[in-house]
Amino acid sequence: MHIRIYRYDPETGAQPHMQDYTIELESGDKKLLDVLMRLKNIDDSLSFRRSCREGVCGSDAMNINGRNGLACITALSTLKEPVVLRPLPGFPVIRDLVVDMTQFFAHYHEIKPYLINDDVPPERERLQTPEQRERLNGLYECILCACCSAFCPSYWWNPDKFIGPAGLLQAYRFIVDSRDTATAERLAYLDDVYRLYRCRTIMNCTEVCPKGLSPSHAIEGIRLELVRASS
Amino acid sequence: MRVFVGQRAWLLQRASALALLLFLALGAALLLVGPPLTYERWHALATSLPGAVIIVLLFAALSLHGWIGARDIVLDYIHSMPARLSVLGIIAVILFAIVIRVALTMAAHLSLVT
Ligand code: SF4
Ligand code: SF4
Ligand code: FES
Repeated sequence: MHIRIYRYDPETGAQPHMQDYTIELESGDKKLLDVLMRLKNIDDSLSFRRSCREGVCGSDAMNINGRNGLACITALSTLKEPVVLRPLPGFPVIRDLVVDMTQFFAHYHEIKPYLINDDVPPERERLQTPEQRERLNGLYECILCACCSAFCPSYWWNPDKFIGPAGLLQAYRFIVDSRDTATAERLAYLDDVYRLYRCRTIMNCTEVCPKGLSPSHAIEGIRLELVRASS
Repeated sequence: MRVFVGQRAWLLQRASALALLLFLALGAALLLVGPPLTYERWHALATSLPGAVIIVLLFAALSLHGWIGARDIVLDYIHSMPARLSVLGIIAVILFAIVIRVALTMAAHLSLVT
């Protein structure tokens, strides 16, 4: 298999370049990550992140043949050769396929990704009806891999001010949570040309999410909640 | 008051889009029914009060929609404040001038001004 990988080593000071690798596939090679791990054994200077190797941790997001995805759940059989691997677009590169996620997680923290409820907690858990619980589906599954935000043109242009699809999906997850009492504050925070309204409904986020989630629908949901709140 | 609240612009953008769609449908209906559109028919339309009002409203909606869209593009791509303000200023002047010009022309047609 022919793989072309973006290489950058800040210590040498050299310009980033694309490096070609050719590797024989073995019977155990099913996903792209399998091949990357074997390449790493051959060339240990190659850097990428990975942990769970089953689409749960979100650490091996990269640009695969022009599309963001998780190497661990990308089947080799679906890839056209040469397989071109680049770091997540729009993110600062630390080394090879490893990008700096600081800003991405700063946006995540900024939307207060935790339940806010100052009422006296009940003796056991805060209960929800099945319908209330249903509203969290399609939102809580996000693994924060950043495939969506790194595929969003609006995020590329204003990564410092636009929260981006991942953060907004998470924001919506707490806005619709029946146990959360800070809905008004959350909405007021998002009513801003940059934080929320940089989204132009391009829907790259929904198209690319490896978990099949739809940040653009969550964003639409936030806009509707804002309309409801102001009328 | 925060200057850059997003919701008002977003709502106005949608409202003006709806208005434009309505005007477009009106225009299409005008083209499709009745006698062929001749200069005389356009003239009659533009010199009638409802026609003139609709034309002014159409350009107002177009300018408003254009303004919000242009502002979005500027916020996306132009990050230096002086450049941003100059471009926004030029766009605002042009759009405003178009609406004023159309309004004056229509008023002249109706002999409201000479
Ligand atoms: S919404 Fe999807 S693409 Fe975006 S961070 Fe969550 S799991 Fe990844
Ligand atoms: S729908 Fe919005 S958040 Fe998603 S890719 Fe498009 S602009 Fe970005
Ligand atoms: S290694 Fe955990 S998501 Fe791919």
